[in-house]
Amino acid sequence: MAKKRDIVIAGYSETPVEFKSGRSAYDFGGEALAKLLQSTGIPKSEIDGMAVAAPLSECPNPFFPMYMAEALGLSPKWLNYSGTGGCSATGGIARAASAIRDGLCETVVVLCADAPSTAWRANYGAYRGEFQEPVGVQGPPASFGLLMSRYHHQYGIKSEALGKIAVTQREHALHNENALAKFKTPLTMEDYFNSRVIADPLRLLDCVMFCDGANAFLVTSEKRARALGLRKMVFPTAYAEITNLHGDRSCPDITETGFSAIAPLIYKQSGLSARDIRMFQPYDDFTIAVMMQFEDFGFCERGQGSDFTLATDLSRTGTLPLNTGGGQISAGQPGLASGGLNLAEAVRQMFGEGGGRQVKDPKNALVTGIGVIPFARNWGTSAALILEA
Amino acid sequence: MIDRAVARPVPKTSTYVDTAPFWEAAKRGKLVLQFCKDTNQFQHYPRPVSIFTGSRNLEWREVSGTGVIYACTVIRVPGPGLEGRLPLSVATVELDEGVRILGNIVDTDPDRVSIGQRVEVTWDRLSEDVRYPAFRIL
Repeated sequence: MAKKRDIVIAGYSETPVEFKSGRSAYDFGGEALAKLLQSTGIPKSEIDGMAVAAPLSECPNPFFPMYMAEALGLSPKWLNYSGTGGCSATGGIARAASAIRDGLCETVVVLCADAPSTAWRANYGAYRGEFQEPVGVQGPPASFGLLMSRYHHQYGIKSEALGKIAVTQREHALHNENALAKFKTPLTMEDYFNSRVIADPLRLLDCVMFCDGANAFLVTSEKRARALGLRKMVFPTAYAEITNLHGDRSCPDITETGFSAIAPLIYKQSGLSARDIRMFQPYDDFTIAVMMQFEDFGFCERGQGSDFTLATDLSRTGTLPLNTGGGQISAGQPGLASGGLNLAEAVRQMFGEGGGRQVKDPKNALVTGIGVIPFARNWGTSAALILEA
Repeated sequence: MIDRAVARPVPKTSTYVDTAPFWEAAKRGKLVLQFCKDTNQFQHYPRPVSIFTGSRNLEWREVSGTGVIYACTVIRVPGPGLEGRLPLSVATVELDEGVRILGNIVDTDPDRVSIGQRVEVTWDRLSEDVRYPAFRIL
């Protein structure tokens, strides 16, 4: 790595060390941040990046990436541990690209593996026990029921549009050999409307199901790839993410998502616009998230998601092929390896390996990620990646 | 103010930041939330710093307990502590002080709860001496 003098450490802070303090990692972290802001004098609003260590007090296994390297017999010169859930795959590609450009490593595997339907050891903790669970908001469906109610209040939801997303993606899953066997039966609009409402207006068929699975991606320079004899490759030409949009507001408009903030960034980086996107592989934990992304990425105006969905051919042969492998809703959500499912489908299509569901002229793809459901908002992290041939 | 007898799980308190003032005030039928003294704004849930400035110049202040329903849903599937409570009306309530809190809407058919309705705080009893804020339509 060439000697560079362009980056500095321009501040530091530290809390006293205590034994059995009765305090949490959040509270210590808050003290360290407050002191850092005080000693540097910069406003909090200047901070637009954050690196956080996995703590023993909050993570059942904070050394997971090291154990994974040991299990696989790998000796990486760069190791990244994602805490962004469904953004881990797309975010992993971007972080790997940065590390490779900086000369830290040459050839990276971005690996997402999870098995929560076999073993659930997570503790989302934080405020949830005191301020969310007692009122019955115990998982993503309740939070999305609240979000949908607000979206419907402001813009209106046509249920048949959400049904169309579910039905279209199910049809795609029928051609996906990796999809969960349970989902490999066709779905009709009647089935959708007959499915149970679990958190009004959210229906069972609007939701993903937690399963087990993994995906992996090889990231390296084009030069290195060619030297290794690799002939199929796609170029990540744009990436952006944002966590906790409007995190310094008590009453933001929750129908405004992080995607609306990052869409202009990826279009600017790639020089593409919504009309240039050949296929859309959006993170799909819930159908409404897909519909809101149509708006956020400029396929239609804000609030026009239902009409756009109903007016657009979203099949693999249509004008905007949508989650051509069935997405998570119809292939199954492999825990927090979730975002990699949408990404793997994009790469597969662009490699021309889509088989019975191959999209013609797969020149580019827009892939997104969503990470964590926060307190009374929409979602925590939004990530978007454009791949080009 | 109505005090409602419902046997429900009592959460572990002050797990992440000191929330004792919230629970102590609830016992007295008062809703207190975190207040940033630098910017004169409320925030909820309780944080280790002000979400507005990053400082720890915070205190607990009583709020009116009145506000408007910002979002609402009805939980229809079972979960821990929800026994006998379904269908359960849940709302994001925007209090008049400009801060949002999640709460159950009580004393109204869940299907008749809607965005924009004015509400005021009332109190559920989780156990003999633990009370928890809920809301009822005004």
